[in-house]
Amino acid sequence: MSIETVAVIGAGVMGSGIAAQIANAGKKVLLLDIVPDGAENRSIIAKSAIQKLLKVKPAALMHKRNAKLITPGNLEDNLNDLADVDWIIEVIIERLDLKQALYQKIDAVRKPNCIISSNTSTLPLADLTAGLPKSFTANFLITHFFNPPRYMRLLEMVKGPQTNPEAVATLAHFCDHQLGKGIVKCNDTPGFIANRIGAYWMQTAMLETMRLKLSVDEADAICGRPMGIPKTGVFGLMDLVGIDLMPHILDSMVHSLPKSDAFHAQAVIPGVVKKMIADGYTGRKGKGGFYRLNKSAGKKTKESINLITGDYASSEKATLDSLHPSIAKDLQKLISFDDKGGEFAWSVLSKTLSYSAGLVPEIGNNIEAIDRAMTLGYNWKYGPFELIDKIGVDWFIKKLESEQQTIPPILMAAKGKTFYRFNNGERRCLNLAGEYKTLQREKGILLLADIKLQQEPVKTNSSASLWDIGDGVLCLEFHSKMNSIDPDILSMIDTAVEIIPNQYKALVLYNEADNYSVGANIGLALFAANIAAWPQIEGMVKSGQDTYQALKHAPFPVVGAPAGMALGGGCESILHCDAIQAHAESYIGLVEAGVGLVPAWGGSKEMLTRWMGNPKRAKGPMPAISKVFEIISTATVSTSAAEAKSLLFMQENDGITMNKERLLFDAKNKALAMVDGYSPTECSELSLPGATARTALNLAVTSFVQSGKATEYDGVVADQLALILSGDETDMAELHNEGDLLTLERKAFMSLIKQNKTRHLNVFNIPSKQANL
Amino acid sequence: MANFYAPIDDTKYLIDEFLDTSELSDVSMFSEMTPDLTDAIFEEAGKITESLLFPLNRSGDEQGCTLKNGNVTTPDGFKEAYKKMTRSGWGNLTCSTEYGGQGLPHYIANSVDEMIISSNISFSIYMGLTIGAYNAVEKFGTEELKKKFLPNMVSGKWSGTMCLTEPHCGTDLGLIRSKAIPQDDGSYNISGSKIFISAGEHDLTENILHLVLARTPNSPKGIKGISLFLVPKIKVNDGGGLGELNNVVCSAIEYKMGIKASSTCAMEFEGSNGFLVGELNKGMKAMFIMMNSARIHVGIQGLALAHVSYCGAVDYAKDRIQGRALTGAKQPEKVADALIVHPDIRRMLMTMKAYTEGARALSTWLSFKLDISHHSTDPTKRQQADKLVSLLTPVFKSFLTDMGETVTSLGMQIYGGHGYIRENGMEQYLRDARICQIYEGANGVQALDLVGRKLPAHMGESLRYFFHPLSKFLTQHSDDDSLDPYIQPLSKAFSRLQNATLFIAKKGLSNPDEVGAAASDYLKLFGFVAIGYMWAQMAEQIINNKGNMPDTFYDAKLKTGRFYMQRLLPQTESLLSSLMSGSDNIMDLAESQF
Repeated sequence: MSIETVAVIGAGVMGSGIAAQIANAGKKVLLLDIVPDGAENRSIIAKSAIQKLLKVKPAALMHKRNAKLITPGNLEDNLNDLADVDWIIEVIIERLDLKQALYQKIDAVRKPNCIISSNTSTLPLADLTAGLPKSFTANFLITHFFNPPRYMRLLEMVKGPQTNPEAVATLAHFCDHQLGKGIVKCNDTPGFIANRIGAYWMQTAMLETMRLKLSVDEADAICGRPMGIPKTGVFGLMDLVGIDLMPHILDSMVHSLPKSDAFHAQAVIPGVVKKMIADGYTGRKGKGGFYRLNKSAGKKTKESINLITGDYASSEKATLDSLHPSIAKDLQKLISFDDKGGEFAWSVLSKTLSYSAGLVPEIGNNIEAIDRAMTLGYNWKYGPFELIDKIGVDWFIKKLESEQQTIPPILMAAKGKTFYRFNNGERRCLNLAGEYKTLQREKGILLLADIKLQQEPVKTNSSASLWDIGDGVLCLEFHSKMNSIDPDILSMIDTAVEIIPNQYKALVLYNEADNYSVGANIGLALFAANIAAWPQIEGMVKSGQDTYQALKHAPFPVVGAPAGMALGGGCESILHCDAIQAHAESYIGLVEAGVGLVPAWGGSKEMLTRWMGNPKRAKGPMPAISKVFEIISTATVSTSAAEAKSLLFMQENDGITMNKERLLFDAKNKALAMVDGYSPTECSELSLPGATARTALNLAVTSFVQSGKATEYDGVVADQLALILSGDETDMAELHNEGDLLTLERKAFMSLIKQNKTRHLNVFNIPSKQANL
Repeated sequence: MANFYAPIDDTKYLIDEFLDTSELSDVSMFSEMTPDLTDAIFEEAGKITESLLFPLNRSGDEQGCTLKNGNVTTPDGFKEAYKKMTRSGWGNLTCSTEYGGQGLPHYIANSVDEMIISSNISFSIYMGLTIGAYNAVEKFGTEELKKKFLPNMVSGKWSGTMCLTEPHCGTDLGLIRSKAIPQDDGSYNISGSKIFISAGEHDLTENILHLVLARTPNSPKGIKGISLFLVPKIKVNDGGGLGELNNVVCSAIEYKMGIKASSTCAMEFEGSNGFLVGELNKGMKAMFIMMNSARIHVGIQGLALAHVSYCGAVDYAKDRIQGRALTGAKQPEKVADALIVHPDIRRMLMTMKAYTEGARALSTWLSFKLDISHHSTDPTKRQQADKLVSLLTPVFKSFLTDMGETVTSLGMQIYGGHGYIRENGMEQYLRDARICQIYEGANGVQALDLVGRKLPAHMGESLRYFFHPLSKFLTQHSDDDSLDPYIQPLSKAFSRLQNATLFIAKKGLSNPDEVGAAASDYLKLFGFVAIGYMWAQMAEQIINNKGNMPDTFYDAKLKTGRFYMQRLLPQTESLLSSLMSGSDNIMDLAESQF
């Protein structure tokens, strides 16, 4: 059975977010909610939820047109429509009576094989299905999404004793392949895995901060990067999630957990926090939280709350001795360090890790699943058991023993060993019986991280490596700082072009960093500009062009497989590939204009070629040229792979993979599919209108400059872009080949970099798209 | 016998003709600097330094300073000379008129300073330190402090010092231990030991004001917890009169290689009462702001000693007869020809002259940039000039003081054995010059400052303000055949500097040791290009637009410039290949192999 249509019941933030992600997968989805009392427009809740989806930041929809896949409705008039859907997700308020009543209604209309799931985070599956017929419970599961559903990769899935294994498999397959989620199967226990451990950790960190009288800045500095946790730390995270949510979570945990559970000791909301909630200081959605931005006197100052007095003061960078890189970068050193930072680190970490270990086997037998839940759900770099391996199992046991702490059984089982072991390229992990079991990746998942355990790179330098990913395909991985394209990466591409024809069949450009590439490292070019080293700069431009041209015309297929940002020179690298297989969350764009430059590693040329060759384009060259001009001069970046297709950064036949773990596999297959009968890409030729087009393009910019919407220098950059796109001094009778366009790119680039205005882009300012719970 | 001639002509030429001061012509302090006025200043400065200070130079070196019962006695004649110099205003040229100073720009004052230093570097130190202390108080002190202390510093009645170094720390001032305990009246009581304090104790003035770096209780660790205090030797009453002693004691003076007439003191502060200058814990910031002018001043010391050594060498080379010219007797009436006929003697004299005059041009040019950074009405110009000065300061300090050592050594060489003995005074210049490479930030530290701090800031933005005008100058004159002997060699040296800069920028990203290993060679390469730029500009101006100096002056300039381009600038080639060889050849030996 496959899932083609879906219904989401409950059009709140979570429900509509889930509906949006299903629409992002290209599936039709019915979004239902109740009819408000006396409402004229009976589907108003779902309808306005869809309107909100179009505006919400970060965007829930990968493409505005996806909103059309969501049909709004209400539970009275549209109940019968549920008969057509393959999967119904219930995302209504956390009240057992309401949920059960709803299930009764659903059961009356649903088709026999329809799967039903609840997004509950607090109610046990056993209670939800009490009194419902076996035909219902066989198709019922809990699917617990994290907010926001588009961006948070974790999906916790809980089945009941009667749930049909086929329903589980069908749904898991759908959520993995179509929704791109990392599925972690959980037991039917309170808070499942991620929130059980996550809430315990947050509470512990908050209470320990107060006990040790640390500032929130100090606490977040420790309980952040040094522990492999996002730099928002714990207080920053609570601000993001909403501080008022904590009492609700604690209530439900306290009610459902046995008295013996260590959670109870940490389930205290301090007075100062209670007062914050009462006063409306609920975090970013409220007046502020543990941090706030004070915008008085025309200045924005970040302030932090003093947990003792409840007053705000300017945030101060934490300066604890334990934060010195020589300590903070070594977890074992940090938790043994003799200051309150070290004490805090040990206290939070030891409690959280032994609590997590103590939950085996209650919340699950598989420690890898627990680690995965924390890394996908809370964006931890390492899960609890990976963290214990990092500090050393025996060291940890010894330290716990010295403090007369009880040692959880799974930790005892690991004594003298590690939780994870790597043998002959296999990842193995320990179970409660003290045995190692090999971890198998699902079919269709191919990870460079796994390949690295098995082999040495074919070639490597400080910024890039070539890996043999099997079947004659090489993978070119960038690993420079921020994956910015530098001379070493270019030389590795040259190497690939040189060695592949003799020994291999195809090439994939792919890496597993957060961002494929943030752009060319223009630092060196800007530096060279400051010392007036013009020939050297032109040489750098030329060598990038030569390398990308060689990639484009190589005698073997090349597939670009970006995930995250692919900007500037990174974008240009995939524009020169035969095909692109992109992760759905790919943010692609030529942002050179943002720093006062134009794309000159063939980016302008490729975009012009794509738009001129677009079969759907209007007559005459101007509409295509204007479109490229608009995209590049405004430094447009796609907010998803779907949008990249509309902008022609990606083309008709390029593919999108929803699940990041499946990207390399898909890209490799795409490359292999092109091997038979492959002939190198031919050089394209264009006829361009020349000076008149340049004038026309400039005309539009002039009005922006005059009205103050663009600076005068923006006008200069736009004019140089117009020079390239118009073909300079030419007319339609003349044909421009790729070399001609590259010459124009260089000319424009050099003219701009010689001016004193080139700005240094803050490429490291990555928008935060994460939230939790 | 060594002699000193103030470089009046060269200074006049640089100020009146070479320097384009139009950039500040809208500021009255600068528009008032007409040649009539400035020429008179230089002539007077020349007279007084030649007649008053130079005669005390040798005797001061022989006699040195003495310490008895905590009192330091300066050499005979110093006290009277100090009175004369300060009374006639030579000690306060750049001080504000508000406090009784002359309010002159740096580019004028620095030319006068060069003459003072040439004639007697030890003597100049007493005056220089007072200016340093004045600048700190003037820039960072409260109105009350300024009123109380500045007028007497400006008039020369009181002098000043800078107390930074402690027995266990010099370069790394974050380690400072001296303590400052806050008092109820808002003042502080300072305790601690300071060493190497120039002019820390002497008999030239009735009071001495020490600017002391110290830390207050519970201040942050390291460099961020250091504050600056003004601590008088004798307490000053509210009325301005002198009160009781302030427990500031000179416990020892150093016996040194050179600058013997300058008293270098070990100072003990024991609960000495002082006043905060600037913000608490921001003492290093104040120091850094004053560092540019202080380091430029030390660079000028290198220049000044080079010049006075050249004066002595020229006299001797013309007087001393020894051997015959290789091409036949030049003075057949005598038993031998003058030294100056010999090519190798000339090589040395030309080297001295080319370095010295090039450095003087750079000094004047850079001093004017310093003025722009302070006084331009355009904030962008101020900022850009400040970046340029900050970039060039380590180059100037190191290159000119290294040059000072080279030139004073050549001056001694020309005298042969007569240079090595004390009687003729030539070896004193070399001994005096040697300290300039060490103090105010050792030259190796300057090189690190250049490559580690100045180069990388804002993707090399500071470099732009030097490289772009130079690049433009070269492009502008690349077709001018008459300038070929200047433009061609400079172009080559400039591309070497560009390549070296890019090399360091690239290496800096991966391996800091590479940058450290390249630093000193890079700074030298930079210095050669900077002085080459000055020579090329002088040549261009003389060839295309001659001024009012005698023809022989211009002729000599062009020929000396050509010597610089052909004989000295080529060193850039070996410096480039040396620094490009990487750090392995420096770092590979294990510590135990040394």
